[in-house]
This record gives sequence, structure tokens and C-alpha cells, in this order.
Amino acid sequence: MQTDPVINLQHISFSYAGSTTPALRDLTLSVAQGQICAVIGRAGAGKSTLCALVAGFIPHFFQGPIAGQASVDRQNVFVRPLSELVRHVALVGGNASGQISGACDTIFEEVGFALQNLGVPRAEMVERIEWALDALKISHLRDRSPYALSGGQQQRLVIAAALALRPPVLALDEPTAQLDPLAIEELAELLQELARGGTTILIAEHRLEWVAAVADQVEVLDAGQIVASGLPRDILGDPNLERLRVGRPRSVALAERAEAAGRWQTGMAWPVTLAQLVQGIRPATAARGDPAAVAEPSGTIPVSPTNTPPATPPILQIEQIAYTYPTGVQALRGVSLTVGRGERVALLGRNGAGKSTLVRHMNGLLRPRTGRVLVAGQDTSSTSVGRCAHHVGIVFQDVRNQLFASTVRDELRFGPRNLGKSKSEVERLVDQALAALDLTDAADSHPYDLAPARRRLVAIAAVLAMDTDLLVLDEPTAGLDNASIALLAQLVYDLARRGKSALVVSHDLDFCFENLERIVLVRDGLLTLDVPAHALSGANHDLLSETIGLPFGLRAAQALALAADDPLNKAMSPSAPLLAT
Amino acid sequence: MLSIYTIGTSALHRLHPLTKLSGAFFFILATYLSSWPFVPVLVFVLLLAIAQIAGVAQRLAGTVGKLILPVTLSLFLIQGVLFPPLGATPLPLGPITLTYEGLLFAYLIAARLLVLSTTILLVLFVTHPSDLVFALTERGLPRSVGYILLVSLQIVPDMTARATAILEVQRSRGLSTEGALGRVRAIIPLIGPLVVGALVDVEERAMAIESRAYTAPGPKTSLRVLADTSGQHIARTILLLSCVALIIWRIASVVEIQIT
Repeated sequence: MQTDPVINLQHISFSYAGSTTPALRDLTLSVAQGQICAVIGRAGAGKSTLCALVAGFIPHFFQGPIAGQASVDRQNVFVRPLSELVRHVALVGGNASGQISGACDTIFEEVGFALQNLGVPRAEMVERIEWALDALKISHLRDRSPYALSGGQQQRLVIAAALALRPPVLALDEPTAQLDPLAIEELAELLQELARGGTTILIAEHRLEWVAAVADQVEVLDAGQIVASGLPRDILGDPNLERLRVGRPRSVALAERAEAAGRWQTGMAWPVTLAQLVQGIRPATAARGDPAAVAEPSGTIPVSPTNTPPATPPILQIEQIAYTYPTGVQALRGVSLTVGRGERVALLGRNGAGKSTLVRHMNGLLRPRTGRVLVAGQDTSSTSVGRCAHHVGIVFQDVRNQLFASTVRDELRFGPRNLGKSKSEVERLVDQALAALDLTDAADSHPYDLAPARRRLVAIAAVLAMDTDLLVLDEPTAGLDNASIALLAQLVYDLARRGKSALVVSHDLDFCFENLERIVLVRDGLLTLDVPAHALSGANHDLLSETIGLPFGLRAAQALALAADDPLNKAMSPSAPLLAT
Repeated sequence: MLSIYTIGTSALHRLHPLTKLSGAFFFILATYLSSWPFVPVLVFVLLLAIAQIAGVAQRLAGTVGKLILPVTLSLFLIQGVLFPPLGATPLPLGPITLTYEGLLFAYLIAARLLVLSTTILLVLFVTHPSDLVFALTERGLPRSVGYILLVSLQIVPDMTARATAILEVQRSRGLSTEGALGRVRAIIPLIGPLVVGALVDVEERAMAIESRAYTAPGPKTSLRVLADTSGQHIARTILLLSCVALIIWRIASVVEIQIT
């Protein structure tokens, strides 16, 4: 083991050329070999800049005034050219689709692209590619074009391409943004295995529970400065995190509820992992409150009961629709779904399950081959997408396909103007949407001058300003920090309160289970589950767990139940099923 | 993505890209250097027969037809009717007058274009673009040129997919593309994201290939292995020598005409 830190940054200050605000200020960080260091912080805190610095893209690619000293794998980052640093450190950036070389027509070749450039012998190259594809579980996609993949698959691909380099140092910027819960867990195991093998890993991430499970050390970044640094439990359990708008791990929220119910062991530090949570919760016999409440998968925002007026007609009725693409892929095979006014629905499913195809039917972009879709009572086969846009607003995943105006305000005006709303009405709706997503201060900025996370909020606000009865959000939380996710959570509640509906397509199960009231699961073009979020029966629980995984709350409940089944635990609490579901 | 290449395992598919290129070069040269008007037709028939071996004859004929027909029609119109060569023999045909020399000239140009496009398309139909570029970089084509060639091949399908997605997004925001005014109004919301997306792509792509060691010094290796045989090597040599012979023969015949 080498004793010097592998990542060694001393008093780094850096500003992007043309920017007046420093992106990093007097930053000192050291990471020893085989350690996983996670950097957390709100959007714009400097996490991506730090990753780019460690990989040498600062100062070689992004230029600007820089001070301090930086060495990675004993290489002076400021002096060594990128073409040499690449043998020591691999960077996986935040946007997977932008990191595809564009010169390879299969995934197999894409993973091998860098190896060819480094002159790795062919036999070794094949062996490394096979290993990386296996590690990221994309071997079955090897002959596909990198462009024919979903967002999650592309993210796995770019991680595989970096791993095939077998870099001594790996820098990952938001690696879980587009992955589903099962894939996120697998990634944690993979990174830990690499670290055990001596790879030093730096991760910028906002999923605090995941950070707690995977990291050896945690750094909190705020406005380009490291404001806290230490072991995951010390840092993530610190109440100050919320003050910095970084959020707090769900385990802490659950432990607080356990404490309120009198079931948290006195003197025990707040838990940051599932294991610590289970360890700290006392058997139910000692409970003063409702034991079920402890493990209920609910977060900081209380879940209100459904307030759908039963008499009003549904806003969306999908009746037994089937759809086959011209390529012959049968995407939907008889799906029915009704969304009532004021409902908050989560549409879940793995990549390629048919979610996107289903969403495209909701405003007539696609018309079903069989079955029918009614939007506000009108059959989409006899109306236009423009008419449907009065009732259904869809925010698509790729923000770049949407934004075109020179100011945020103009971008927001576009939708309501198209719907023929009056000038004063347009301004009122735009102001409302700006306020809802905390964008009022950015109204006159160019959308592309904003940080990527805020740009996503602009895209959402632009559809929100159309004031439709149903707002469909495709992966709205991807790449957002916890403060922005809280804004979204508030948004879906506000919509429901006003009798408007929200349908969220997401891999972020925690967000869905905490903020939405109904869970719909799509699998292989069929709707396999449609249940209230807080009433999962045993069989449904298993189906969800197998298909996409479980949110933290349900995993906690499951772990508590298992702990309760443990003979030792049983002896302590014979009548203590803690499972809420 | 690779809209031209047709996946297959025929003998033609398996040939080394340079063998196919040498053959293509020979056919094109023979057509252009020969003054005998039936050569292009014979070569075209031969090319279709070769394409049949690879199972792409029908597709090839269709693609070539779409490509060549408009050019041929305009050629005949221009050369045969509108701008006949001076002193040409008139050929009256109903209300219009064609000329014999004009038609012959139009035929020759069209037939040569036919062979040129059929040969190039056939090579692209049966040669994987990456194999082609790899074979050329092995023979000295700069890697950067090879990279640009491969990226350009992917740009069209990539842009098409993005344009479709942008149209879907903006229609969902109530954008109407109906009527002349609607189409004009739709230009900025549709082109804006496409252009911005392409610009953002450039920076990301540059970072992506840097982080994939594209500029790393030292020797390179390749995942692709191109099968080559001594038979093919001999064939290529013969084809190239034949090309040289054709050129010499042509120069000689021009010189002979001028002397006499």
C-alpha cells in the first residue's frame, strides 16, 4: 500500500474563465489508496468541478485562474498533459449520452475504444471488455448501437468504458442519476470490490443513503469550499446538513420517528445506513407509539389522504391499448389506466418496459393500434396533440430537446401562448410557475447560463405554466439535488390540492413512495401492479422488489421484520412485527 | 444507425475492404476510360450480378434508381433538347427536336454516373464502415480523418432521432405546425434545441474522446481483425496493374489520334 494519499489537493482555488465567482475556494482534500470518498453538496456547490479537476480536465480543458497544488496517483495534475493523465485517472461525467465516442457502432467496441487508443494488446482488450460488460451487467447488449440504449443503459455503458481502463483512480460524477434501484445497489457492490482491489474512488453524489452505504469518507462542499469532512456516520448524521440544504439521509428521518414513538435507543448516534437503523430501533414491546408508524415508508412530508372527488370524470382514461412499433417491437400489450382529478400517480418499471410508449399515448403523440385513449373525455384518435395539450402537459427527460428561448421567462411563456391564453393570464401563470420552482430570480437569465439542475426545473416550469389538468413528469428527479427534489415534492402536493393530477415516471422509488399516492408498475408492456402506495400486500411487495427494487422505507421495514424474525431478536420481542406493510 | 451497410456473411461481405475498393476503382476507371458506349451497361449488369451473390441486388437497384433517375432525366433534357452540341444531327420527335449527338452525350454521362454510384453503393452495402475506415487507417489514412468519417456516418441517424424528439416535445407544448404561418412560427422552437444540442455535443464529445485516451501517445491497437489472404493480395495487385494498363492504353490512344 502506498502511504501518500493517491488524491492530494492542497489549497486549490479555481474560477472558470469569464466567471467572477470562484468555483473552488482554498480546497484541500486527500484520499488514500483503496478509499471511496463521496462529495456531497447542493447543486452548484462545485462537485462536478472537483471531479473534473481530479481527472485533469481542469486546468487542461476548462481553463481559468487556478492556484494550489494537485496530484493524482503521484502525477502533478497541472503539469502532466491529459493524454498521460488518462492512464492514471478515469472520469465518468454526469451526462451519459454526451460521453459516447460516436465512432463505434456496438457497445463492445465502445467499451474498447480507449483500450485501442492506449495500444492494449487485442487478447487483453477482449478480456477487459468482457469483464467490464459483465461487471455492469450489459453483456447481453454487446451488439447494440450505443445510441439505441435507454438512459440507464447508457450510464452503465460509460461506467463500463471507464472501468475497462483499469484506472488507479476513478472519478464519478452523479453515477446513479439514471439507474434503477437494483442497478444502484449493484453499483455500490462493484465500487466496493474495486476499492478493495486498490482503486481509489471519488464520487459526487446526492443520494445520501447510497453514499452512506458505499463511502469510507464524506466531504461536504458548499460554494466551492469543503465545510465538513469525516466518516459517513459523523457527517451524514449531522443536523447541519439540512441547514446547508444538502438534505438528510432517510434513515435519520426514520430514526427520528422511532424516537418520537419512544423506540430509539437512547444515546445512540443517528443511523446513516439500514443496518445502523435496525440496530438502533428498540423492540416493539417497549413502544409507546404506533409501532407500524416507525417503518412506514414516508419521508419528511406527510402523506395526505386521497381527496379525489368521486363524481368528477377522470382526466385520462386508457382502455386496453396495444402498440407495436414499425420495427416489430411490441411495446404495449393491453394496458388500461385511469387517472382521476387530483391524483398523484407513480409509473414505475425497468428500462424498456413500455413506460415511454405509454406516456406518448397520453396526449396523442402515439395512437394505439387497438384500444382507445380518452383525454378529458375526448378520444385521442379524433383530436390533435395541440387540443390534448390543453389538458395534459408532458415534461420529457431530455431538457435539451425543449429549451430554445433566450430567457427563462420567454421559455415559460411559450406553452400558455400556444394554448391561446390571454396576455395577462400568460404572465400570471408564468409568475406562478417561476415561484413554484424557485426560479423567480433567474427569470431573465438564459436557460443555458443556469446549472443543469436548475435548467431541468426550467423545463418543468415551462410545462407547469400551461396549467394543464394532468402534469406528466418523466424522470424529473434525475440529476437534481435534494433541495430541488423537495421543490418537486411540494409541487405535486400543490397540484393535487388544486384538483390537478400528477403522473411521475421515475426510477427514484424514494421520491415516488414518499410523495405519490398510487403505484403503477409496467413490465414487458403489461400493467402488473396498480395499488395505493401505502397498501402493498405481501405478493405485490415481492413483485415490486423483484422487478425494480424497494424504496428505502420499505427496505427498512423489511430489514426490521427480518430482525424481528431473528431468534435472538424474537426472544427480546416475541410479539413485535415491525413491518408496516 | 448504419443505414447503408447491410449485415451479411456472403463472400463479398467477407472480402478485405481494400480488395473491394480496388475492384471498384477498376470498374469505375474502365467505364470512364472506355469510349465504347456499351461498356457501362455491361459493367452495370456485372455489378448487379455480383450484388446478387451478396443478396443486395434488389436493394442496390432500388437505391441507385432513386439516385440516378432524376439526374438522368435532367441530363437528357439539357443535352438532348435544350443545349444540343453545335452542328448536331436533328432527330424530330413530335413537337420537339432532339439531336443524335446530344442524346449520345447524355447517355454516356448518365451511364457513367450509373456505374460510379452503383459501384460505390455496392462497396458501402457490403463493407462495414468501421472495417473500411480501419483498413484505410492501416494504410496511412490519418486517424483523425478516420474518426471524422465514422462520426459523420452516425450524425444523420443521431440528428434524425433528435429532431423527432424535439418535434414531440414542442407539439406537447401546444406548438402547431399546420399552415404556412404555423410552419414559420415553428422554426425557432424546432431548430433552436437542435442547434444548441449540437453545440453542447461538441464540447461533451471533445471531453469524451480525451477521457478515452484518444490523444494518448504511443502505438495503437485494434479490436477489428480484417481477414486477408494471399489470393486477395494477388487479386489486388492484378487489379491495380490493370488500372495502370488502362490508363497507359488510354493515353496512348489519345496520343495516336493526335498524331494521325
